[in-house]
Amino acid sequence: MELKTHISVKNLSIWYGEHQALNNVTIDIPDKKITAIIGPSGCGKTTLLKSFNRLIDLQDGVKVSGQVLVDGEDIYHPKVEVTHLRKKMGLLSQRPQVLPMSIYENVAYGLRIHGIKDKKKLDEVIQHYLKESSLWEEVKNRLHSSASKLSIGQQQRLCLARGLAVEPEVILGDEPTSALDPLSAERIEQRLLELKNQYTIVLVTHILRQAKRLADYIIFLYLGNLIEHGPAEEILKNPKYLKTKSYLEGQFIEEPKIDKELNLKGTVCPDNFVKAKLALEDLKLGQILKIIVDYEPAVSEVPKAMEYEGHKILEVKRLNFTDWEIIIQKRNNTYLI
Amino acid sequence: MDKRKIEENIFKGLMIFSTSIVVGSLVLILVTIFLKGFPALNLDMLIKTPKGGYYLGKEGGILNAILGSLVLGIGATFLALLVSLPIVFYLNLYLKKNSRFALLVRFFLDVLWGIPSIVYGAFGFILMVFFGLRASLLAGTITVALLIIPIMARSMDEVLKMIPFELKEASYALGATKLETAIKVIFRQALPGILTAILIAFGRGIGDAAAVLFTASFTDSLPYSLFKPVATLPLAIFFQLGTPFPEVQQRGYASALVLTALVLFISILSRILSKRFTKHTIK
Repeated sequence: MELKTHISVKNLSIWYGEHQALNNVTIDIPDKKITAIIGPSGCGKTTLLKSFNRLIDLQDGVKVSGQVLVDGEDIYHPKVEVTHLRKKMGLLSQRPQVLPMSIYENVAYGLRIHGIKDKKKLDEVIQHYLKESSLWEEVKNRLHSSASKLSIGQQQRLCLARGLAVEPEVILGDEPTSALDPLSAERIEQRLLELKNQYTIVLVTHILRQAKRLADYIIFLYLGNLIEHGPAEEILKNPKYLKTKSYLEGQFIEEPKIDKELNLKGTVCPDNFVKAKLALEDLKLGQILKIIVDYEPAVSEVPKAMEYEGHKILEVKRLNFTDWEIIIQKRNNTYLI
Repeated sequence: MDKRKIEENIFKGLMIFSTSIVVGSLVLILVTIFLKGFPALNLDMLIKTPKGGYYLGKEGGILNAILGSLVLGIGATFLALLVSLPIVFYLNLYLKKNSRFALLVRFFLDVLWGIPSIVYGAFGFILMVFFGLRASLLAGTITVALLIIPIMARSMDEVLKMIPFELKEASYALGATKLETAIKVIFRQALPGILTAILIAFGRGIGDAAAVLFTASFTDSLPYSLFKPVATLPLAIFFQLGTPFPEVQQRGYASALVLTALVLFISILSRILSKRFTKHTIK
């Protein structure tokens, strides 16, 4: 599946004070698809999501390194106008947060700050987006009553309308259905599926079934590290690495017990491969070898070669800007030609 | 009886006792003012200025002080609002949560809140001399504004601190600037609290005698110029109670009743008005 990239994350690391929330994440988010970010709580899902519209800027003591390119433009460049960026990214938060205004004014707010003042035009646009988020029929007779009087499911749809009204290119959803009842949740999911032809959608979710229902592309994060990513079907059916598999099967995610460690920094292919192979010779079947490499091609080539030899790659993880960690389990030493 | 139950009852008793002291003294104050002041209150007092010999028991009223206090109180509250709103928006939206500067500003405001009003009066007097101003409505207004800025700003600050972070986030996420968020979202949501803060400050300002003693002075005429002295109710009460004549003292209590009623009236009025603006507030 050939995918056009909309948001491109390069070596993104984010710290909150001393705590590192994301570690050298590099990933491309496909255009006009639904991408789901999955992983256990506190693994950096929301941090990654909110780095796209720079809402993490609002946190205290936050430090960002690396790049996020949206439409090819680095959004952390000092010249970037953060209000323009956020206009491009509609946000649906965990709990819908309506503004302290009427239903009408909630949608009009975003339009007005971006310069639409004409009453007729406002009416038109507001009606359009309330329909778009399938709320219109329920509120058309009480547009000027308080938004906070709506049910929570209606509030979330109002937030969707409000976000869509400023004409974003991307919809960011931070577990947008987690506070809703099943029926409201389903309506939101339905809307998202219909909207994905026009918008790039990124969803944080901890509901695997939701990811299955909605996602075209899946990103699995664990403790701030990008473990695996790829087209949804592949990840869900055939996860490559151990942690992804454990998570998808609902098991505890455990760090593999390392029997031998090998530092291969400074070596190139095929030297590193040969050294790793020799190290594996010493291990028994099922034992685990960890190697550290800093040579870019090795990251994809060494695992490929190892799998070719019948071993199992448990994890490939980026450690920092230069180093990668590859965890290999010794399996049958027979060639699989 | 169970020991824990006795404990519970003793402390519950203490709490009821403390609460009744506070409520009791408020009722006592109101009753005293009413009983002593109401018989002396008449229409003349409310609609006439003091004639010669008013303080000796002759004809006249305290309209000069009623109007003076209103003008000065409202003016000072308005001035204080102009200063306080930017302070609290800056503290709560522009500075980081654990900013040292914000901590320092809050500390200063707390200290200023605790400074006795007579000190503000003296400070206002020095300022006045420095700018070559005479005791006047303007000088009094500025001094009272200085007195109530810390009260107003800190009360508003506590209200704005309670605004959920997600609300700001929702506004920023739409591409709003901090200013737009402050004025169009935060202000609306915090309006009931902001009004309360304004009222607390107004009540404090209109009732203060020491701050206006040197700076606004006193006069028998109605307030007509920013640069002329102005009469205020607290000073009128002070002068009337200070005379040796029982009937004038009675009028002092009547004036106190007027002042109390004024504050009460304005706070009820603004609460009714605020209902109209706060119907969309998120609970």
